[in-house]
Amino acid sequence: MNATSEPNTNANVAIAADKLVRAVPLGDRTLTILDDVSLRVNDGQTLAIVGASGSGKTTLLGLLAGLDRPNSGSVSWHGETISTLSEDALAKKRQGTVGFVFQSFQLLPALTALENVMLPLELASNPDAEALATDWLKRMGLGERIDHQPRQLSGGEQQRVAIARAFAASPSIVFADEPTGNLDTDTGNEIVELMFKLNRDQGTTLILVTHDLELAARCDRFIRLARGKVVSESGAA
Amino acid sequence: MNWQLVFRFVKRELRSTEARILVLALAVAVGSVGAVGMFADRVKAAFANQANVLLGADAMISADRPLSDDFAAQAAAFDLRTTQSTRFGSMVSKSSGSGDAALSDVKAISAPYPLRGVIEVRSADGASSGARGARVALRDVPKAGEVFVDERLASRLDIKVGDTINLGKNTPRVSQIFVEEPEIAGNFLSASPKVLMSIADLASSELVGPGSRASYRIQVAGPRAEAFTAAIKPKLGPGQRLETVRELRPEVRQTLERSEQFLGLAASFAVFLAVVAIVLALRRYLKRELDTATLFRTLGAGRRQTLLHFVGQFAVLSLIACAVGVALAYAAQAGLAFAVRGLFASELPAAGYAPLVKSFLTGLVLLLGFALPPLVALASTPPVRALRRDLPAPTGGGVIASVLGIAAVLGVVLLQAQDLRTGMIFVGGIVALVGSATLLAAAVLWGVRRVTRSRSKKPWQLGLANLDRRRLSTSIQIACLGLGVMTLITVGFVRADLFSAWQKSLPPDAPNRFLVNIQPEQIDTLSGMLKERGQAAKFYPMVRGRLVAVNEKAVSSKDFVEDRAKRLVDREFNLSSSESLPPGNALVAGQYGGDTESGTLSLEDGIAKTLNVSLGDRLTFDVAGEKVALKVTSLRKVDWDSFRVNFFALIPKSTIEPLPKSYITAFHLPANDGKTLPMLVNAAPNVLAIDVSEIMERVRSIVEQVAKALEFVFLFTLVAGLLTLYTAVVSTQDERRYDTAVVRTLGGTRSQVRSALIAEFSLLGLAAGVLGVLGAVALTWTLATRIIKVEFIPSPGVWLLGLLAATLCTLAAGWLGTRSVLSTPPIQVLRENA
Repeated sequence: MNATSEPNTNANVAIAADKLVRAVPLGDRTLTILDDVSLRVNDGQTLAIVGASGSGKTTLLGLLAGLDRPNSGSVSWHGETISTLSEDALAKKRQGTVGFVFQSFQLLPALTALENVMLPLELASNPDAEALATDWLKRMGLGERIDHQPRQLSGGEQQRVAIARAFAASPSIVFADEPTGNLDTDTGNEIVELMFKLNRDQGTTLILVTHDLELAARCDRFIRLARGKVVSESGAA
Repeated sequence: MNWQLVFRFVKRELRSTEARILVLALAVAVGSVGAVGMFADRVKAAFANQANVLLGADAMISADRPLSDDFAAQAAAFDLRTTQSTRFGSMVSKSSGSGDAALSDVKAISAPYPLRGVIEVRSADGASSGARGARVALRDVPKAGEVFVDERLASRLDIKVGDTINLGKNTPRVSQIFVEEPEIAGNFLSASPKVLMSIADLASSELVGPGSRASYRIQVAGPRAEAFTAAIKPKLGPGQRLETVRELRPEVRQTLERSEQFLGLAASFAVFLAVVAIVLALRRYLKRELDTATLFRTLGAGRRQTLLHFVGQFAVLSLIACAVGVALAYAAQAGLAFAVRGLFASELPAAGYAPLVKSFLTGLVLLLGFALPPLVALASTPPVRALRRDLPAPTGGGVIASVLGIAAVLGVVLLQAQDLRTGMIFVGGIVALVGSATLLAAAVLWGVRRVTRSRSKKPWQLGLANLDRRRLSTSIQIACLGLGVMTLITVGFVRADLFSAWQKSLPPDAPNRFLVNIQPEQIDTLSGMLKERGQAAKFYPMVRGRLVAVNEKAVSSKDFVEDRAKRLVDREFNLSSSESLPPGNALVAGQYGGDTESGTLSLEDGIAKTLNVSLGDRLTFDVAGEKVALKVTSLRKVDWDSFRVNFFALIPKSTIEPLPKSYITAFHLPANDGKTLPMLVNAAPNVLAIDVSEIMERVRSIVEQVAKALEFVFLFTLVAGLLTLYTAVVSTQDERRYDTAVVRTLGGTRSQVRSALIAEFSLLGLAAGVLGVLGAVALTWTLATRIIKVEFIPSPGVWLLGLLAATLCTLAAGWLGTRSVLSTPPIQVLRENA
């Protein structure tokens, strides 16, 4: 089948991907990582991308999040094609539109929890960066730890800081790459609860990559990738 | 640019080891350049002041005709002190004496005089007992109607204080008998007794009029004398000359130049070492910044915004490091000056701020030269690296970085070395060393691959295999450690061996008295008397001749542009002969004829260049009315520091034999020997005895002070060297800690890990040691034979020690940096590096 996963066309589309192809040169041949993938995700929906290692999940996430560019095909956010934007215009676009939660937290070790959360706000020249960041950390239950550096925080706490950073700039879409991959089961569950709660409260669209089928099952929809193609999908569109 | 963000990052970054090492390396570089530069400037100024005493001023303009007031006005514009004088030769006799007269060197002076140094007289102490009083400074000049005469004239004409003498139309009263006045530069072989008179009496004495041979002079002194001489030089008219002590006295010039070379070299080494430390620290720091750049890009910062942030961050870090470096430099040079305070006759002249500015700029140029291109590349980090950490770091700035970085280092080294030749030798050495390091690293890695080929590896083989896995890091580490080792060995060598070789060229028993104008029949008597006192003095024949033609074409001073050449042609050459090349002379071209061929001439290389004469040219001298044509058959370099009897021109014995000649000899007279000289002069009253002990003492004291100063500068270089070695070793520490943690997680025991680390660091140290020692041998040989020009003495002991020390230090530093991994749970290390 042509790897597509079509959502309800009448709803407001947050992300649309059309015939995405991503290939990289490997010696004298080309390795196709993603092959002709199309999908749509509506505003406020949650989508899980699952698949075995090397199936192309993270590559797809990178393309959807505008961190990487497809060899062919296009990605649009809220109806605006981002694949054709210049590097800097795309960066600017990311500033107000998307947030990220990474498996390895990606906090800057030299900065405090507060400064890490402030960073995207400051890059977007938000004058209320400190107040917003403080507020978000308190919401994450980290009010007492805002001046701590990442190495002084547990894995779960670090991921909560990362979540605060992702939501602080009020993005409309949040991308999460294996958000529980580096955490034990209990902490992972806590983080998942938190993310879904925030997603509901903020009305954001959540796209996450995971190995965890239980986590995937909690999403509105999930798609399964194998060898760069969408091989199955489930859940309501 | 969001400066608030920039400052916050700088504040936070300064907590990291990477940033601290970078700031420290840069601060040490700036500190070394600044401290050594400032200290060297102060020491050089002190030396120059001491040497300038020989001229009585920092510089002098002299002319055959009275000088216009413009010169004094211009000197005043440079805030210089000035004094005018007129110098001429005149017969002097005692008014109430036998009528004996002596040709004297008369100087009409006005206060202030002298500008540098003092007129020395004997103190009255002990005069009653007949002993000679100690020398004391006289802070006075002759008033109108008075003269000062020197001891030689007083003794020859039996003049006492209060006597009057005939000086032209005047009969001034002798108010002081002086031992020495500062201006002893110039051609001391023609030294006559000296008389100082007041310039106010010059006109009434009628000694100087139109056509008389007098030298009208303005002497200047002050901190900006060098700038003044540079400005005035192009404005000099015909017959006007600029004289500095360097131009007048070859031995002082050579000593000063060598002192400057030594200090400059030490500074270059410090800079060079710090540069290596900066490069290593920067590499490690930029690696850390890659994650920050990735996150910036992911969170929506564009290339420009990212670049501006990093450039801003780097600029602030550089400014902090440079400011720390400048403060360090100022404190260190003040400390150095305090430490050597007793060594200099007077307090060191105040430090100028130019070296600090230079060091500050050096720091900025170095860091930006190396950092800017990688920063540009850093700003282009693809944001997708946030998801794919295994993506290679952007390398766009690589080639530009290398070119800019190399240009920055070359610029700084050339600037520091001060002369192009030394700088080029340095640069050549660096290029050769980097090439050798690459080859050596390739050879080491090839060897490593061979010994680690077996399937089941022993722990030490695993350690060596690590070197092969990190090929680029290994090559860089071998090169950097090698450079550090090379520099430290070379500095040690410069400090010890080269320096002692130089000091040896001026032994304590070097000749300090010259006897001139010895007649042939007096040689046996004088030689016998000297032999009795253990002095085997050699007597050299001396013929005075004026250069009248080159290649049969008549020449006069007008044919030459250079001042020195004009002076040489104006005055008489001292021609001598020697059967073999005299000691302290080295042949640079042609064959030294000795006595084998008549009509040949061996010229000192420098003078040949000044006169634009080369091998095969024919020079004609007028010797007492007789024309003597000589063909240049050899050129010699003369070691003027030695204070031996040296001649610009040597001719064969057969040529000199028929010419009217006198002899000259030199010997060493201990300071407390007051009898020998009068005895010799009594035996040969026509002989002129010249005391050069004063000049020698000054030269020797300069050499000793340089030795002490160099010790302190060496300490600074040592700190820079150790920092470099440490940075080189820890530059791959993170990778090593991670690898080791993985090995331990996989079941490697502590002793296996220990063996692997020991093997790895030992080989690294050994390779660096070999490279460093080879580099040091090549560099010291070049410095000895090409720059400092002293004999190269191989010192295998030092080399072996260097090799051993390099291996052990690398092992120790590496071990200290990595051993904590053995006591840290592997999971912690792995988590830190996740």
